Amino acid sequence: MSFRRRPRESDVPAIADRADVYLERFNDALARSADEPGWLLERRKRAMERFLQLGIPSLKHEEYKYTDLSALADGRLLFATPPGGADALPSYAAGGASNLATGTGPQVLGRVPHGARVQSLAEALRAEPDLVQRHLGTIAAYDDHALCAVNTAFFSDATVITAERGAVLDEPIQLVFGDGPQGSLPRVLIVAGRNSSVQVVETYAGSGAYWRNAVTEIHAEENARVDHYRAQVESLDAYHTGRLQASQQRDSYVSSFSISFGATVARNDIGTRLNGSGCECSLDGLYAVRGDQLVDHHTSIDHAMPHCNSHQLYKGVLDDRAKGVFNGKIFVRPDAQKTDAVQSNKNLLLSDESEVNTKPQLEIDANDVRCTHGATIGQLDSEAAFYLQSRGIGADRARNLLTYAFAADALERIKVAPLREHFESLLLNRFASQES
Amino acid sequence: MLQIRNLHVSIDGQKILRGIDLDVQPGTVHAVMGPNGSGKSTLASVLAGRDGYEIEEGSVTYNGQDLLDMDPEIRAREGVFLAFQYPVEVPGVTTMYFMREAVNAVRKHRGEEELSAGEFLKLARQKIDPLGMEADMLKRAINEGFSGGEKKRSEIFQMAMLEPKLAVLDETDSGLDIDALKIVADGVNSLRSADRSFVVITHYQRLLNYIVPDYVHVLSDGRIELSGDKNLALELESRGYGWINDDVVPQAAAGV
Repeated sequence: MSFRRRPRESDVPAIADRADVYLERFNDALARSADEPGWLLERRKRAMERFLQLGIPSLKHEEYKYTDLSALADGRLLFATPPGGADALPSYAAGGASNLATGTGPQVLGRVPHGARVQSLAEALRAEPDLVQRHLGTIAAYDDHALCAVNTAFFSDATVITAERGAVLDEPIQLVFGDGPQGSLPRVLIVAGRNSSVQVVETYAGSGAYWRNAVTEIHAEENARVDHYRAQVESLDAYHTGRLQASQQRDSYVSSFSISFGATVARNDIGTRLNGSGCECSLDGLYAVRGDQLVDHHTSIDHAMPHCNSHQLYKGVLDDRAKGVFNGKIFVRPDAQKTDAVQSNKNLLLSDESEVNTKPQLEIDANDVRCTHGATIGQLDSEAAFYLQSRGIGADRARNLLTYAFAADALERIKVAPLREHFESLLLNRFASQES
Repeated sequence: MLQIRNLHVSIDGQKILRGIDLDVQPGTVHAVMGPNGSGKSTLASVLAGRDGYEIEEGSVTYNGQDLLDMDPEIRAREGVFLAFQYPVEVPGVTTMYFMREAVNAVRKHRGEEELSAGEFLKLARQKIDPLGMEADMLKRAINEGFSGGEKKRSEIFQMAMLEPKLAVLDETDSGLDIDALKIVADGVNSLRSADRSFVVITHYQRLLNYIVPDYVHVLSDGRIELSGDKNLALELESRGYGWINDDVVPQAAAGV
């Protein structure tokens, strides 16, 4: 099944009478955006139109059947309660704060070498208007994606990261999305020119109850490489919805790593379209949730052309009454012969009440391909825990070590060492030790 | 050091041990032999604190303390070591990380300074070398992809690192070829000392040619049916276990 929505009015009864807030705010937003180019205003209007038709997806929507977003319907969490300040995540970028922080966007950390730019929307529209017009709002389609439509209609600023042909950013640029009224609707566009290489880390943290609805678009030109990381440690009262959509030209490589530890409900839609032959992508993730948290990853890899490889490894650690959702779509189009697609979702349940719903969804229309998928749901190996304890390691520490061990192969895919080490240590210290 | 008194243990309602009595003095090596299903491994597991065993009756006293009341990690820190019959593979955690955590947990418990990474590595190299293993083993995940012999040698390495007071070896010889067996036995013998005791559980007499025990006990149907010196093991080797229940010769439990 593809991204088919159910447009019947009866499925979205809430939105019709609650959309007033969105409509009202949209008029304000349009007034603020008056000096934007016409094409952008048209995209915003179209997005709003689609959102009003789609509404916030209900549990009856096949793509949201486990993920209750009804609290978002009246717009209050988006417009009335911006994210509060939180302890910032550490800097994973070399060189500390950059003075490239611009406009009303995120704080930018890291050194930006020659050949690359980090700009606000206004700056990018002045410097590279054609490039922005070509890609902003065209990679992450909003016609059938209500949350993306909301972002597209309302985002007030965007961060545009561009790498010229051949530019190599061998250290990551970090975008810090924290508090403030602009923090609710992060929008990022990454355009990697031919033979360029870019690493971007997005971090999300806040306090209080709010809804953060982020969209990142990536365009990778021929033979470009983009490594994208998102580290989400939102407030445990927050809703986090994030969309990452990439578009890849031939021989390009895109990796995404989604770390999801925070938020009461986190929904991540991560996808890429392989538009040329020889592309490769690696979509990976690690989620660790407890209490009543829910984390939902929906991935989509569209193999449009031959000789492309895709890898997916999502690992989850769930405790207490936490819920995990994984849905992995792989489309192999008729032209995409010699596709090699591997998908794996593995979950560790630390409690009896935690649960996971995992579902691979493969649509294969080519005949000479290799597509494999696997999902596991397991518990801590009590024999392994006893083994560690029998050597003097405390019970909590043993649980931590085994949890860490479960996640180790996913963590290894994080190539930004400080980022990897930070989350390694979060996992290793997950269960408070009574002894030390 | 260790006194087991009238120990009755069951698993899921099924009686396995039916009144074990055993005294282990410091510096002695006790071999516990017996046919399959006699309760040997249950005894080892109960001493180390594995879950799932019901203690129905009896007591185990270790250096004056109630051993059965201690969590497994406390037993280990107090000096009890179990070499597993089937060492567990733990992908994702290196032997180095594991052993450093373990050694430091034990040292902390004893009021000693924790070892730095450098000090640990130096000690580990010292201990690993005589076992015919490469220090590279430390970088591998715990037991992952190890051969049977490597796993057993890794157990002996861990024992050497933790320097226990009471080491229980649960069929450490099973499945080893003669060279590996000698290495394991040498590892044990090099640790023998006046204040360290061993309970060597084995199905085969062969191991006892290399680890010469002070006492040999024969476990049968959950009880120690016979105790003697190393010659008992030889007799078992030639006559098998069949005669024990028919023809019990109550031996003087010479200092046992």
